[in-house]
Amino acid sequence: MPEKTYLQAISDSLRQEMRRDQRVFVLGEDVGVYGGAFKVTQGFQEEFGASRVLDMPLSETAIVAGATGAALMGMRPVAEMQFADFVSCAWDHLVTIAAKQHYRTGTPIPIVLRLPSGGGFSGGPFHSQNPESSFAHIPGLKVVCPATPEDAKGLLATAIEDPNPVLFFEHKHLYRRIRGDVPDERYTTSFGEARVHREGEDITVITWGAMVYTADEAAAKLAEEDVSVEVLDLRTLVPWDRDAVLASVERCSKALVLHEDTKTGGFGGEIAATIAEEAFEHLDAPVRRLAAPDSPVPFAPSLEKAFIPQVDVVAAALRELAAY
Amino acid sequence: MSTGTQVEVVMPQMGVSVSEGTITRWLKQAGESIALDEPLLEISTDKVDTEVPSPGEGVVSEIRVQEGETVEVGTVLATIAPAGAAVAEPEAPAAPPTEEEAPQEEATAEAEPERQPAAAAPVDPSEPVAEAPTPGAAPAASEPEGNGKMFVSPVVARIAAQHGVDPSVVTGTGQGGRVTKKDILAFIESGAAVEPAPEPAVEAAAQTVPPTPAAPAEPAPPTPPTPPAPAPSAAPPPQAPPRPAPEPVAAAAPLGGEVEEPMNAMRRGVAEHMRRSLDTSAHVTSAIEVDMSRVVAARERLKKDYQSSYGVNPTYLAFATKAAVETLKDWPWINGEIRGEKIVTRPWVNVGIAVALEDGKGLIVPVIRNAQDLNLLGIARAIGDLAERARTKKLMPDDVQGGTFTITNTGCFGTFHGTPIISQPQAGILGTYALVKRPWVVQDELGQDVIAIRPMMNVTLTYDHRLVDGAYAGGFLRDLRARLEGWAD
Amino acid sequence: MAVREAEPVETLQQVKEAGLDREDLLGMYRNMLITRAIEERGHILYKQGKIPGSFYTGRGNEGSAVGVATAMGANDVGTPLQRDMGVHVTRGVEPWRVFAQYMGRVDGPTKGRDGNVHMGDARLGLHTMVSHLPAMLPVAVGMALAFKIRDEKRVAVAWCGEGASARGDAHEGMNLAGVRRLPVVFVIDNNQWAYSTPSHLEYAVDHLADRAAGYGFDGVVVDGTDVLAVYREAKRAIEKAREGGGPTLIESVTLRMEGHAVHDDAFYVPKELFEEWARRDPIERFRSWLRDNAELTDDAEDEITSGVKRLLNDAIQRAEDSPLPDPSTVTDGVFAAADELETPHHR
Repeated sequence: MPEKTYLQAISDSLRQEMRRDQRVFVLGEDVGVYGGAFKVTQGFQEEFGASRVLDMPLSETAIVAGATGAALMGMRPVAEMQFADFVSCAWDHLVTIAAKQHYRTGTPIPIVLRLPSGGGFSGGPFHSQNPESSFAHIPGLKVVCPATPEDAKGLLATAIEDPNPVLFFEHKHLYRRIRGDVPDERYTTSFGEARVHREGEDITVITWGAMVYTADEAAAKLAEEDVSVEVLDLRTLVPWDRDAVLASVERCSKALVLHEDTKTGGFGGEIAATIAEEAFEHLDAPVRRLAAPDSPVPFAPSLEKAFIPQVDVVAAALRELAAY
Repeated sequence: MSTGTQVEVVMPQMGVSVSEGTITRWLKQAGESIALDEPLLEISTDKVDTEVPSPGEGVVSEIRVQEGETVEVGTVLATIAPAGAAVAEPEAPAAPPTEEEAPQEEATAEAEPERQPAAAAPVDPSEPVAEAPTPGAAPAASEPEGNGKMFVSPVVARIAAQHGVDPSVVTGTGQGGRVTKKDILAFIESGAAVEPAPEPAVEAAAQTVPPTPAAPAEPAPPTPPTPPAPAPSAAPPPQAPPRPAPEPVAAAAPLGGEVEEPMNAMRRGVAEHMRRSLDTSAHVTSAIEVDMSRVVAARERLKKDYQSSYGVNPTYLAFATKAAVETLKDWPWINGEIRGEKIVTRPWVNVGIAVALEDGKGLIVPVIRNAQDLNLLGIARAIGDLAERARTKKLMPDDVQGGTFTITNTGCFGTFHGTPIISQPQAGILGTYALVKRPWVVQDELGQDVIAIRPMMNVTLTYDHRLVDGAYAGGFLRDLRARLEGWAD
Repeated sequence: MAVREAEPVETLQQVKEAGLDREDLLGMYRNMLITRAIEERGHILYKQGKIPGSFYTGRGNEGSAVGVATAMGANDVGTPLQRDMGVHVTRGVEPWRVFAQYMGRVDGPTKGRDGNVHMGDARLGLHTMVSHLPAMLPVAVGMALAFKIRDEKRVAVAWCGEGASARGDAHEGMNLAGVRRLPVVFVIDNNQWAYSTPSHLEYAVDHLADRAAGYGFDGVVVDGTDVLAVYREAKRAIEKAREGGGPTLIESVTLRMEGHAVHDDAFYVPKELFEEWARRDPIERFRSWLRDNAELTDDAEDEITSGVKRLLNDAIQRAEDSPLPDPSTVTDGVFAAADELETPHHR
């Protein structure tokens, strides 16, 4: 199996979907001639033509609304926000129209919004955010956060097939740093099925996106100290795999919920609450949350390092849980 | 629309945020005929004044809300009857339609068992282990407190219960010596769990909760009001309860010999109320010894007459109740309650008489209402009546509600002392015990101390120290004793 | 550049040139009567407490709505708003379904999940509005984008009020449509009042249609009380878009003859203004034109009005017979199932 970067896997998947389904088209800022700010759609316009790879005005509202209208007419738009942060400009169209149209009026809105998200490179407050929990709260939207190249490819294919609005959070920090085996042939990866990234018996870490790797490094340190940590990669937040989380927690009896988004109102709270509600009698320690502090994402490297949960911080939290 | 039945005219919702409207004018009066959509009345709301067109045609059969009145959106304002239908007399406005009746369920709600927090000691949020550099506060197990109490995590509690293991006998390796899941699993695997529990654990358990079944007459709340009582055994229960001693929480043999049976609803209600009462009131018990010679004599005098004339047995309980009710007049707080930030007293006494059910299956406390208005005969009759109805399961929900003070009598077992639990939200409970002949120092006619044989009875008052102080309770007991010892009639 | 102000339609000959025969004209008149009757009867039902929530009408806008909708082709689509009942009526939404919608019943187009004029029927090319006006405007642009990508000769019509034209959605949508020369027609129902705010506090140009020049397409101002003039201008714009000529912005000027909603008595609108525009009532105006130019006799008129009355009576009865939704279905339809994508109307 060929080894690919996370970014190549996304690009390959999108290209594959556009080849097999004429209804799929791409719209966004600088996605055409330039190939996208991160080059996910590089070479697309040459292959599919300018009518299926649309450079849009700097109009997030019109991009998401346009995708919605085209989806209502039977297309399968894949819209790119240049940065996930900019989706705030299109909030109304996602939340007011796309999320509610099927419930109100029975018309599916099969759109995918690609959202390059996450920090770790001094992107500052407007190029580093992880706004997944805001959308996970909105009934009618699906939220996907792949961590591996293989999952990124399969989940994007599933997202494009899905008859609902799907927010596809691509972690920018993984784009070129993470490589992995990715099958060449087309495949889909189901929503709502967590993946065991690392097996363990003593503590369950529930996480997604780039934090999967942070958790894995911390778990490796704990393994040297004879503590066995299981890392569960949720892969999708809406829907999320409650069964897998509860099964793992019931086995390990200690849980750490980890995410790069800020803590208050973060999706980790939902997971921790569910564990408390449904696995209380299996707990041997309080459920811990580890997340970014409640501040905007800072620019200076020293501050950003204090903002994004680091391996040693995760390891320390795991040690505390192990000792509890 | 007009299908031959009455059509109701309702207050319309004139805007999303509008919740009520005022009738400014009726354009038609009761008895007048009206066409569909013809203006019927004018209303005024926060947002707009408007006419309301009739939703039906026929005759205005009834106007329920008068001009100037403000009612909620959706309130029926009038009815339209089809032409020719019998019309209610125009001048007979019905009772206001939405008069709310006070819910009668209060006592039930009161008696509803409240969930108790898990029996865990509070977690002491002490500092995390030294090497932990995390900025967020670390969760921490409690430090051992020296008295054997320590935090037991949910999973350890569950495993302990399943295997009948006392977690306190397991060696803990967690923070502060906490027993971890691994510890208890290893303990069970080692076979140590079948060993008898060490002595101290038993003692620790014994001191906490009063021995429930051993004091069968300690009152419960008016637990499930309906049905009243499964086969009650009248006031004194005939048998000793099956499990006389508090069971050690710990290391009882997990297997053979034990019998498990589900708790019935009343038992659960009793259990939860007892626990809640202890968590609510500051229980203190004072006791006093009463020379019952005069009561015994009075009873002997009255017994025959009461029995033959009224079919009523003047029991010692009846005497004690009568005396207590009279004494409470002078000590109103013992007949009172704490309600929020207020102290409530009342001029009446509703005395609950605790009655144990057969086989320790529960307690019920029927109430003698307005006991202050009853003489001895009336009280004796009421006790007999309640006992009879308890026996024949004919108690009504009202019979077990509204008590302001409770009396529990365990004298039939020969017990001479107890510390009953207050029936919430009352402030006191009187315990009466066995009447026994004891040598007693009395003064003879010359004022000399002599030893006499006297029928003595111990009486306890358990009171809520939040409201009642020791001196106040002592005063009550002193007066009560004086009443009983000086019984004259 | 000054926008073109449309001439009134004078003669039957002009109308025939615009593609309408006498039957069409009588049909338009009937649709206008149905539109007004639905809203009048709905207004009464609301005051009788039979309709929950709020209630909005488009009195004064019947000609504009019916005129534009009549000009649309069978495969065209649109996103009409709360003053555009005439669009629903003209495209074939049955009145009983409108009443069921008003009352929150299962037979309303949204099955009780949304209320008042928040309705559409995708099979008729009508897509359901949201409250955030003009959020559906760029959605209609997206529909036109799909037609352009697929090279289909279909047109999307986007409605918006003069108040909502102040929002960014309108700008982004119109700009994109202009950039890509999309087959979309923008209709601004300029009824002069955004709730209580008058036009001069909503925009600073003489005509909203002036803005079209800024987006690189044509604008036209039309008297919204003249159904035939509206029809003619809409027809021109729609056919131009269909043939690849790009968008048009039509500003249709009327007066909102009632409050923003039933709870609003519009005290802030000068009485004289109401009186002036009452004389230009679109239905009365069309009726007298039909009598003068299209042989609308008393008998023919009676037949139409009594037919409308029967239709409405039956509609209300049928709507009242429709049940309220089953509470257990409250979460049904939050997400679509895959097979719903292949339904015929989803194209």
